[in-house]
Amino acid sequence: MGEVDTIVAVATGPGGALSVVRMSGPSAFEILSALCDGEQPVPPARVATLRTLKDPAERSAIDRALVVRYPSPASYTGEDLVELSCHGGWLIPALVCEACEALGARRAEPGEFTRRAYLNGKLDLVQAEAVADLVEARSRAGHRAAMSQVERGLSRRVGELRASILHLEALLAHHLDFPEEDDAPVSVDGIATDAAELAGRMVALIATAPEGELLREGAVAVLAGAPNTGKSSLFNALVGRERAIVTAHPGTTRDALEAVVQLRGFPFRLVDTAGMRETPDAVERLGVEVAFERLTEAHVVLLCVDDGAPPREPSFLARVKSTPVVVVRSKADLRKQAPQSSAPPEWCADVVDTSVVTGEGLDVLRSLLPSLVFRGMVQAGTEQPVLTRRRQTRALQAALDAVRAFHAALLSDVPPEVASSHLKEAETALEDLVGVIAVEDVLDAVFAEFCIGK
Amino acid sequence: MNLKYEVIVVGGGHAGTEAAAAAARAGIRTLLVTPDLGRLGQMSCNPAIGGVAKGVVAREVDALGGLMGRATDASRIQFRMLNRSKGPAVWGPRAQCDRALYPVAIRRALDELDSLDLFQEMVTELVVEDGRVRGARTRGGVTLQAEAIVVTAGTFLRGRIHVGGTAGVGAGRAGEAPSVELAEGLEGLGLELARFKTGTPPRVDGRSVDYSAMERQEGESPGGRFSFYHQEDVPEQRPCWITWAGTDLKEIVRTNLERSALYGGSISGRGPRYCPSIEDKIIRFPNAARHQVFLEPEGLHTTELYVNGLSTSLPAEVQLEFLRTLPGMADVRMTKTGYAIEYDYFPPHQLRHTLELKAVRGLYLAGQVNGTTGYEEAAGQGVVAGANAALKVRGEPPFVLERDQAYIGVLIDDLVTRGVDEPYRLFTSRAEFRLMLRQDNAHRRLGPLARDRGLLTRQQESILAERLREEDRILVWFRETTLTPAVAQAVLTSAASQPITEPTRALDLLRRPRVRAEALYSSTGPGRAPLARADALAAVEIELKYEGYVARERERARKLRERANILLDNDLQYMGFLTLSHEAREKLDRVRPETLAQAARIPGVSPADLQNLVLELRRRRSAGVGQ
Repeated sequence: MGEVDTIVAVATGPGGALSVVRMSGPSAFEILSALCDGEQPVPPARVATLRTLKDPAERSAIDRALVVRYPSPASYTGEDLVELSCHGGWLIPALVCEACEALGARRAEPGEFTRRAYLNGKLDLVQAEAVADLVEARSRAGHRAAMSQVERGLSRRVGELRASILHLEALLAHHLDFPEEDDAPVSVDGIATDAAELAGRMVALIATAPEGELLREGAVAVLAGAPNTGKSSLFNALVGRERAIVTAHPGTTRDALEAVVQLRGFPFRLVDTAGMRETPDAVERLGVEVAFERLTEAHVVLLCVDDGAPPREPSFLARVKSTPVVVVRSKADLRKQAPQSSAPPEWCADVVDTSVVTGEGLDVLRSLLPSLVFRGMVQAGTEQPVLTRRRQTRALQAALDAVRAFHAALLSDVPPEVASSHLKEAETALEDLVGVIAVEDVLDAVFAEFCIGK
Repeated sequence: MNLKYEVIVVGGGHAGTEAAAAAARAGIRTLLVTPDLGRLGQMSCNPAIGGVAKGVVAREVDALGGLMGRATDASRIQFRMLNRSKGPAVWGPRAQCDRALYPVAIRRALDELDSLDLFQEMVTELVVEDGRVRGARTRGGVTLQAEAIVVTAGTFLRGRIHVGGTAGVGAGRAGEAPSVELAEGLEGLGLELARFKTGTPPRVDGRSVDYSAMERQEGESPGGRFSFYHQEDVPEQRPCWITWAGTDLKEIVRTNLERSALYGGSISGRGPRYCPSIEDKIIRFPNAARHQVFLEPEGLHTTELYVNGLSTSLPAEVQLEFLRTLPGMADVRMTKTGYAIEYDYFPPHQLRHTLELKAVRGLYLAGQVNGTTGYEEAAGQGVVAGANAALKVRGEPPFVLERDQAYIGVLIDDLVTRGVDEPYRLFTSRAEFRLMLRQDNAHRRLGPLARDRGLLTRQQESILAERLREEDRILVWFRETTLTPAVAQAVLTSAASQPITEPTRALDLLRRPRVRAEALYSSTGPGRAPLARADALAAVEIELKYEGYVARERERARKLRERANILLDNDLQYMGFLTLSHEAREKLDRVRPETLAQAARIPGVSPADLQNLVLELRRRRSAGVGQ
């Protein structure tokens, strides 16, 4: 038969005291019933019910679990769906899954639950992507952006843009199809003005893309500077636990260390590097090379110095000219007199005095870094939708190009009905974005990014 | 009496005459049967053919060998190319016609067709056996036998005319009886019927109008032609007149609103939004200071004027009262009252793209019975229905025009796929490939298609061949001829275009704004380029100037066609495809699209539904035969 099959997977990540196993498809309830050995009454819909799960072959109990049944279509996938909250760890969730498989379910592929939700019309493509982001949200800001998309923030915004394009088409239609009407004629100039305004709104949304994409990836903040200037201490202080080995010996850090931290809710990948110096030590020299490499990926550089003197620009910063640099004057607690404060030099965004001993300056850094890297989002507040994926940016960019071509054509003597073919392209590009014309390989790419169970 | 034909066409309006002529041109023994042979090709509403989009359709009908273009040329008393200030893709030829001459021209053209007979009778019954049409019976007791029948009943099916203050009167047009038995018979076949309304304005006596208070609107001189195959003699020309309905008229309409048949509640059917009655205009746009009114001459030999813009179903005395508020009409005499008409139509999802009913083999519907308005829309359907009836008799594959081939293709696909919720009219905005679907290239697009299916007369075939050769020659000339700066100078100067310093291809110069094909073509001096007619040059000019855009449009059309290639069986159990939304299942079940592309155009079928439909089909296929 051409039936949809029933899929099962562990929905939660490894570790933790509890795990959720999720099962969706036409046989989900039947399998659940067999799993509960058929003895107990079927749990009522959408009520968490305690059940003993048994191995179908050996009749032995696997676990005591909370079972919730979601009958179709009011479930995440739109199909009959079961969630089993069992004990965590590696073994029990795997045994539960195996038992379900023995009873006829199939192990889900990455993203398959959400894919089914999409195919059953429960989510649009942008929402589906947002769910993926939500699962792997590395920070509260990322979480907020993802949440706002599940709630259709971006879909709604794209819908508005599409409505504006339709509006332009309507104006054109009036202009072209009703030449004898006495209503105030729509001027081509007016249509061109509206198109320019629409392009402006698209530019604003596209401008959120670099930061939006960083929300998913985390911004790279590289700690750099001469040896023994307190980079690793600052790294540990910002990470909040002893990760880097800190000694008084210059050149202790050989490899680059990386940790994910949240600063004011924004995700950063903090990278501690080896001190920059000429060294005879081959291993340390390799570390310096790695440091140089990491610098080129940086979205912000924390240049550590350990004196209070006015900072000088080190030569290695020449290769990261466009990256904002914050000069961190560490070990402030060791200095006798407060350093003279002056306007930061032109090549650096700011100068911050810090002490990992007293905690001085750490909060300043925690606010400063997001405001440098996520400037647009910090200014716009958290309510604005942002583009978090390349695919979204590409589609919007294509739409923008088409709207601009339309605008340029109108202004350069191309007849409006000819120019309007650009509008059709813009509309199609936006439809690509919200999944109206989602082709199979786009779907595959989108859904392959999901972890199993979501 | 018993008459036997291959194809019978019921009705003699714009759809019926075209259907009968199309079948006859294909060499099929055809009978046109209608209650009044004196009214073949009658213009029941405004005396005009064409307009934006509609003018292209008139030219398409002509390109397919039809009657409308030549009858328009032979009866037109004013010609204007609408949208001339915009690009050629949306130019729309429009002609005022002499209401008396048009039917004469139609009759003359029909009489040229040897295999067509005419018969005056009202058909009251269709004979259907085993889901296949066999013939028809008339009120006078005549039995007609045919292999295919085209029904073009217009607004006659249970038509009811309403003028305010009177009870509705059964009528197909003013003064003509409705067709009640035929409607009941079609309903008896299990066809779904619904009701629309439309309206027409009053007519006035031109002798009682003071033209000096109005704006005179002249036509173009000499004006263009609609027909490509036939050189008809064009009558003398007449102006139209423009005046304005102001606040006085608004007040009269408003205070009498409850006496309007439309607003008094005696009409329930839906009317066209783009052709509103004056009652509609005043209710929907209360803030408009005034409304434009066109006085259009009804013909050369009558003083009667058609008051375009004031369609109404108010009582006669109110009509006269408001007419007299118009500048120049203080003493106007009314010759005919405006009225609203309600009629049955068949929701067109019941049709195939050939306009054959899905439920009854050999039975075709064309024109206003399918929920359209407009003479051109009716004529376009008529040609397609008549051609397909003929091809069916011949046992040949159907003749279907695609959306990227003709406005007629857009029209029929919209009807069949999307259905109608108000009387359907064509606009250029309905066509996603309007740069290709122009009035200047109708013969180039459709002539060869019609010729290859044997739908043109010999004479039409040879005119077509000669003209296409001529255009090809000109196209080649522009692509292959290089003009020197000296030769091109005068042309470029007069077009205010940059002079050239190097010899340049004529085509590249033509693509510059304001540079005209004719000027370039004659710049090389007499005898240097092949002789060409002005209209052939104009057609080539448009083709070449917008070649880049047109090429992109063709590419888009090609991609869509790929999707169209996924065929959907007519017996798919859509209601069982549970992964599709309920709405989509119902719509698909109702429309039964022939291709995935058509499914995509059905309102209510979302992209997610389409994805699932593909998956369902794949599953069905992988599940194997026998499921």
